[in-house]
Amino acid sequence: MTSTQAGPWRQIGWRNLGRHPKRTAITAIGLGVGYFAVVFLVGWSSGLMAQMVENGTGLVSGQIEIHDTDYRPDRSLYDTIGGREGADISAIIRTIASDPAVVAAAPRLYAGGLISSGNSTSAGMLMGIDPSLELDLTRFLDDLVEGRIVEPGRNELLVGDELARQLGAGVGDEVVLVAPGADGSMGNDLFTIAGIFHSGLAFIDSRYGVLPLDTLQTLIVMDTGRIHEVAVSTADPWIATEAAGRLTAALGPMDLDIEVAPWTELRPEMVEYVALGESFYFLIIAIVFGIAMFGVANTMLMGTYERRREFAVMLALGTSPRHIVLTVVYEAIALGAVSLVAGFVVTLPVMVWWHNAPPDLGWLYGEVTVMGALIRPSLRVEYDVAVWIWSSVALLLTALLAALYPAARAARVPPADALSGL
Amino acid sequence: MTKHLRVIVGLALRNLQRHLRRTLLTASAMIAGSMLLIFSLSLGDGTHESWIDSGVRMGSGHVTVESPAFRTTQNIDARLSTAARQVAELALQNPLLSGDVSAVSSRMMVTGLASSAAGARPVKIMGVDPRSEAAFTTLNAQVVEGRYLEPDDRLAAFVGKQLVDSLDLRLGSRLVLNAQDVDNDIGGQLVRVVGIFQSGVPEIDQSLVHIPLSTAGEFLGSRDDVTTIGVLLNDSAAVPRVAQALRQALADPVAAGQVTVLNWREAMPELAAAVALDDFGNYLVFGILFIIIGFGIVNTVLMSVLHRHREFGVLQALGLTPGETGAVVLVEGLVMTAVSGLVGVALGLLCTWHFFGEGLDFTNLMGEEMTFSGVVIDPVIIPLFRVTRVVHVLLFILSIGAVSSVYPAIRAASIDVPTAMKFER
Repeated sequence: MTSTQAGPWRQIGWRNLGRHPKRTAITAIGLGVGYFAVVFLVGWSSGLMAQMVENGTGLVSGQIEIHDTDYRPDRSLYDTIGGREGADISAIIRTIASDPAVVAAAPRLYAGGLISSGNSTSAGMLMGIDPSLELDLTRFLDDLVEGRIVEPGRNELLVGDELARQLGAGVGDEVVLVAPGADGSMGNDLFTIAGIFHSGLAFIDSRYGVLPLDTLQTLIVMDTGRIHEVAVSTADPWIATEAAGRLTAALGPMDLDIEVAPWTELRPEMVEYVALGESFYFLIIAIVFGIAMFGVANTMLMGTYERRREFAVMLALGTSPRHIVLTVVYEAIALGAVSLVAGFVVTLPVMVWWHNAPPDLGWLYGEVTVMGALIRPSLRVEYDVAVWIWSSVALLLTALLAALYPAARAARVPPADALSGL
Repeated sequence: MTKHLRVIVGLALRNLQRHLRRTLLTASAMIAGSMLLIFSLSLGDGTHESWIDSGVRMGSGHVTVESPAFRTTQNIDARLSTAARQVAELALQNPLLSGDVSAVSSRMMVTGLASSAAGARPVKIMGVDPRSEAAFTTLNAQVVEGRYLEPDDRLAAFVGKQLVDSLDLRLGSRLVLNAQDVDNDIGGQLVRVVGIFQSGVPEIDQSLVHIPLSTAGEFLGSRDDVTTIGVLLNDSAAVPRVAQALRQALADPVAAGQVTVLNWREAMPELAAAVALDDFGNYLVFGILFIIIGFGIVNTVLMSVLHRHREFGVLQALGLTPGETGAVVLVEGLVMTAVSGLVGVALGLLCTWHFFGEGLDFTNLMGEEMTFSGVVIDPVIIPLFRVTRVVHVLLFILSIGAVSSVYPAIRAASIDVPTAMKFER
């Protein structure tokens, strides 16, 4: 079939759309809404996933954690990096920071202890940090509710807002920390609350006390070279696995007994959850367009029924039934294309808007945690190019499939009856 | 209008029959939509009920009685008075309530430090009555080693797997619990691990320790006092009733600010948010689906109106008012949506229970244990049937039908009679 011969069928199909502008518009809106729905639902769902991964890896922990090989899962006080002798921390941090994917790396030391203020005592997890490095890495200390960050060498402490409430203590108040030391003694000392943080994770806000690394080392009687963890953040959570591989190689020469674990290994359930969510995307596409298909089929069926006479004339003039089918199918494809353009024109700005300035949904539901990762109530969406393309294909397929039955009926119009009868 | 009601309904029904294929096609979209709606809402409700159930069993019950200060301070000073505890426990044994109540557990909850030779960890120490707690918690079914607490136990502790690992403990090992006692000193108690559990919720496995209430009372100096009374119900729908009854029974201490009665939404806002988020997602999907279906209905009904210009002209010439002409169209839309809605809901319920009555198993998909707002998600979803849900669905479908018939009805009502009758088509 040459292009000149192909012309008329396409034109007849296209022109027929314009003959019933209202009907075309309503059908196109139906399909366009379907397109928007799929892209938006999938975008919102990936927005939730992205938030889960970002907060799960960036809020308190990093995308990569480096420990002594014995540290996990026991997290024992004694399993510090480099064993009991400790290691050259600044050299490790320098090596890690030289990797192009790494944004920040910071050392950490953990110990359980009791925190007392006046008449109240609570048990807490003490986390020793290097304040300047830690600020580049985690986000939960970025915006303190009150006060300021701790300074190295001082007996200062940051507590979560929930813990502060339980202790009935505020910024500037003195608290006593009691923690079992590495030498078997009970370390205790007076600390001043320098600031109060709020991470949104109840577990962190009610349990964690953050203090300078060197001060904690003194409290629990550990040498300055001993830390439990180097937390590393990467620019994008999804490059963490590769980066971890490179870091293992880069740290190899230091001959430490360590493991470099990306979050995908530390939190495999999160990876699975993302995969589970993605497996539902096609279900959403199928359901939405499956329902939309009825609407298109109905419109096309009505349209072809109305044009029985027209088809009868065409057949009588020698058009083959195959070409009748073609005109109807072309009409459907044109309808699909119009809907796609309309859907896209509406969807794109909304998605850009909701990605960059997500509407707050705090009035509807509060903060939730998925796999222990915080998710804030907002309509933040992510773009997923593959889904945009798949939805477009699905939309056109829907239009095409919906046209098949009406097209077949149109091609079987008996010319004589149709021309004489009506 | 009532005068011509039979005519209106008759015309509407006849017209639906006359274009049976078109009616069926539009109806099948509605039927498929309502089937999906009822199916996923039943599953959604079932999911939420199971989250709520496991959430409240891990937490403090469907209804919680505690001192208002306890929520903010978690301090032993904010424990319940002996009188308040007795009143609450007595009220729950009232035959009017006992039918709704499945278990009651009074607990002494304090935060403290658990230490062994290997280190120290912050923990939540829960002093419980082994017998009533066993009916309340699911932890006694999640034992990986040893056993749950028993009534005669004294210096026994039931400890989470992760805590056991991090303190390098095993069955029979000793650990020391330190916590603030009633005199604001730090009390210490040596206990032995009798059982180890694994709930799948990291926060709980890392930090929860159950000890007998008598042991807690001894070392904290609190004797039989408790901080929290948790009430577990048979159905979350009974929450308002039970909470109200408890508030009445405890009216005096509540008014005095000594006691507060919380439902699970207040006591566990995170869980409530998880349910709300999931519901919101479902509603969004269905809102969109039915908008699409709505456009389909608009199209069908509108087309049928445009074809019947002449018919409507004749009807009005014979004495139907424009309003009644519009009503014919509206009734047509409503009848179609009502019938297909009913059929869809019936088919949906049938399918849901025939195929998934035993529960829909997502174990293969989920694999690892998943937690949502601190609740382990059960991979087997058992659909939940609620009459109110069915009514909601039917009302929703009817209103979609009504809304999408309005514009065509207006068109039918506003035709110009002479012009409509003038031409053959």
